[in-house]
Amino acid sequence: MLILAEVTNVAIIGKGLMIGGGLIGPALGIGLVGASYMQAVGRNPEASKFLGQALVFIAIIELMALLAFASIFIVK
Amino acid sequence: MFGLLASSTPPIHITSAYLFKIGPLLITNSIFYGWICSILMCTLFIWVARRVTVHPQGGLVQFIEAGVEFIRNLVESSFEDKERSYKYVPYFVTLFFFLLMSNWLGLIPGVGESFLKGENPLFRAFTGDLNATLAVGIITMGYVYASSIRESGAKEYFGHFFIGSPLNPLYLVLGILEMFTDATRVISLSLRLFLNVTIGEIIIAVFSYLGGIVAPLTAAPFTLMELFICALQAFIFVILSVMYLAITVNHSTEEHLTDEDITETINGDAKMATS
Repeated sequence: MLILAEVTNVAIIGKGLMIGGGLIGPALGIGLVGASYMQAVGRNPEASKFLGQALVFIAIIELMALLAFASIFIVK
Repeated sequence: MFGLLASSTPPIHITSAYLFKIGPLLITNSIFYGWICSILMCTLFIWVARRVTVHPQGGLVQFIEAGVEFIRNLVESSFEDKERSYKYVPYFVTLFFFLLMSNWLGLIPGVGESFLKGENPLFRAFTGDLNATLAVGIITMGYVYASSIRESGAKEYFGHFFIGSPLNPLYLVLGILEMFTDATRVISLSLRLFLNVTIGEIIIAVFSYLGGIVAPLTAAPFTLMELFICALQAFIFVILSVMYLAITVNHSTEEHLTDEDITETINGDAKMATS
């Protein structure tokens, strides 16, 4: 056990969990926004002018991913 | 042998570093580059403003005119009352171009890890520092709050946080929570801009490190992506602050409608439906 504790840097596992868990939610969210946008365009092609609003919502979701990315620098 | 191809660790600075002192003030590389950018921007926009003509000439002037027109349309379409929106246009146009140019000037070669003063880079993107974006966020939201209070009146403005009478303890607590939610907009606006710019720089640094001697090839796609993201973030900062302002201002215009206006609107709709 002692040897295992010496060779494993636990912070690496923490960083991996942080970035993996922190990015999965925003990825799903951006996917949902994109899917809804494409569905709207498919039903009504005039809805394609709302791409700007879709990008605004993507930017709001993206903040969560960026917070997860930034917080890995705190873990030493 | 592979030591020649890549440096030992990717050079990453996530915070700005102190360069020199003026009196008691410590000047960081971020604000130092911000001053240079401000001087460049003032020169450029004064030069452009003198060359604006009725008939478009093309060139740089027309691009900037198109940008101004774009933000003007954005602000006008967010407000229900067009006349009220005109006085807010200059601030948001200035904000958009300031953020856009700050973000883009942070991407040019030479800014970042190229010129070092000791351990730290001499220049750093102005928006790549949380203090800078927090200042922009506080000024913008202060302007938004002041304008909302001026448009709707202090009593009405603070009243719209409460669903019922503030004397009811449940409504009081809910209203205060609502006010705190409102105040977090400053932090979310500034954090979004700061993190996008800083993490973009880190991504470019990591990919040029991975590339070794072919660093330009690996870093170029991410630099192009950053060009797009920087413009998008400046636009999103503006559109979100316009929305925060437009919500309260539109709310106050709705209440001034009289019964006659509403009946006229309904009659007009009925006529359109029958014809």
